[in-house]
Amino acid sequence: MAEPLLTVRDLSVRFPTTRGVVQAVNGVEFDLEEGQTIGIVGESGSGKSVTAKTLMNLLPRTAEIDGEVMFDGRDVRELAAKGEDHFWGVQMTMVFQDPMTSLNPVKRCGEQIAETLRYHMGHDKKKAISESIDLLERVGIPEPAKRVAQYPHELSGGLRQRVVIAMALACQPRLLIADEPTTAVDVTVQKLLLDLLDDLRKERRMSMILITHDLGVARGRCDEVAVMYAGRIVERADSHSLFSDSRHPYTDALLRSIPRIDQPSHTRLDPIPGRPPELINPPVQCAYAPRCRFAQRSCLEEIPEVSGVVGMHSFACHYPANTERGEAALQANLDRGETAGGLHLHAAAEGAS
Amino acid sequence: MRYILQRVGQLLMVLLAVTAITFASVNVLGDPLTNILGPLASVDCTDVDAGLIEDTSTRGGTSQGDCSIIAETRAEFNLDDPLPQRYVAWLGNISTGDFGTSFQNQLPVSTVIKNKLPVTLRLVGMGLFLSIAISIPWALLSAYRANRAFDNASTVVSFGLLAVPNFAMGVILFYFFAVRWQIFPTRYDPSSVYSQVKSLVLPALTLALPLAATYQRLLRTDLITTLQEDFVHMARAKGMPNRTIMVRHALRPSMFSVLTVFGINTGALLGGTLVIEQIFSVPGMGGEIVKAIVRDDTPVVLGIVVIIVTGFVVVNLLVDLMYSILDPRVRRG
Repeated sequence: MAEPLLTVRDLSVRFPTTRGVVQAVNGVEFDLEEGQTIGIVGESGSGKSVTAKTLMNLLPRTAEIDGEVMFDGRDVRELAAKGEDHFWGVQMTMVFQDPMTSLNPVKRCGEQIAETLRYHMGHDKKKAISESIDLLERVGIPEPAKRVAQYPHELSGGLRQRVVIAMALACQPRLLIADEPTTAVDVTVQKLLLDLLDDLRKERRMSMILITHDLGVARGRCDEVAVMYAGRIVERADSHSLFSDSRHPYTDALLRSIPRIDQPSHTRLDPIPGRPPELINPPVQCAYAPRCRFAQRSCLEEIPEVSGVVGMHSFACHYPANTERGEAALQANLDRGETAGGLHLHAAAEGAS
Repeated sequence: MRYILQRVGQLLMVLLAVTAITFASVNVLGDPLTNILGPLASVDCTDVDAGLIEDTSTRGGTSQGDCSIIAETRAEFNLDDPLPQRYVAWLGNISTGDFGTSFQNQLPVSTVIKNKLPVTLRLVGMGLFLSIAISIPWALLSAYRANRAFDNASTVVSFGLLAVPNFAMGVILFYFFAVRWQIFPTRYDPSSVYSQVKSLVLPALTLALPLAATYQRLLRTDLITTLQEDFVHMARAKGMPNRTIMVRHALRPSMFSVLTVFGINTGALLGGTLVIEQIFSVPGMGGEIVKAIVRDDTPVVLGIVVIIVTGFVVVNLLVDLMYSILDPRVRRG
């Protein structure tokens, strides 16, 4: 196999704050092949957006970044340090969560797309606008010639996100980072936008990082999925294995907490108890241990290393789910009625699992 | 269009209110007759008017001749009419461009204004221009590297500029740039357009510096807020250069509070001009209004007040129109 387009090695990001240092991203590693899609899944504060912003060189100057990010053989952090031109926006670009705020309210939509083309491609104004119209048409916006002259507030959320996508794709980037691209739009529009992104990606052989808190969004659209928790990737696998044979108890819990159409209606969903840990001076333990049904004493004493087949299915857990060792740990906790992390378990509710 | 008409209506209301108050106060706070005739007005004519006594002017008493002058003056200036009636008459004259005649030198007030207004307007214009020309780049530089060395130094400088009173600033600039280093003339030099502009640089700067400091503070804060907006991140993700992001993306949406204060401050600027003109001996309306107030030259005071109020209201109307140019979202409000 050829060199991956993007390799991220041991990426850590810290933010010094008045209350202490926030360890937002901790030892994140992944590869992304040309034309492939990786999904990064996690709840708010898990470090997925910070990871994306690190790649895009969008973090505030106060952020302390460690580790290596290589894009097509080039050191991204070095490019950032010397203020490389025509890299972001051309090679790699990003779509943000909220289309209501990610377009400049005082500039016409066409102008915002054309500006990119003019700066990076050197198009004149006329050519840039006509190409903007083509792009708007390609992302499925009706009456594109009219839309270029409109302001963002004159468009609906779904249309605006299409404008944002057109804008991001203007210079044919090789990598698109989509940070929760559908979180702020209606469910009906969600699917349309995700399908659109999928089509465009295939058509242009573009790689994509799809960041979402919704496992359902990642399912079926990603070649590989990485689950993040408290700044670490806790499990990474190809899409199929992750959904059918998850190992990390957090992934397992996430899957059990979303409604499934093949289950009878009124099936109780299992929420994940507790809340994500503080990222300031976290104790030396598995960050998920206090909320984990599998947690044993050792989970509170050492941080589990990433194990499993490297490059295939890897996870960081002492007592992985869907394994003999994990099941034994869970059973022991059920018998005791609580985990080593002090979480109370109710055997009755667990019967179904 | 309807909006503009509405605003012009408001403008007229403000003009009416301010002129009415000024008109009433200058007429009530001093006897207009005294202002016109001086000591002569204090002659007691009640007895003469009643026909009780003859002309006694030769004996140093009340003179029939003096009394006829007083009666003529009263008639000429309609001083026997009630105040509201005189106000309405005055308004009628103003609307035809007739501001009345100065008590002082019998010149029409419109001539006085015509002679003095251009200099003052030029000074105000230069002051406004300088305040903007200084504050915008200054705020952009400060906000671009907020809380770094340049920004911190700027904070100190801008608070310094704000703390120094206007007249003190004028004297300081005057001393260094005109007296000590002689870069600019010490007196207003009307010989050529160039020399006129050069003479106005220091007074305009005196007006502009505290304003520029205010605008810089406001704009800097708003820019820092705007720079955290998603669309700025988006522009960076598109790979736009920093300059483009600052000037073309962040500046415009950050201008609203500065624009509002700009309109309000223009009033203060017009007032400040009158003081500054004195320090730099600029022959504008400032000298004129001070003279007129001291000598109770009512028509001149009123005329200048009308001009200043109109200027203030017009600038604020323009500011309101600027909002809709800056922000497409208010256009169809």
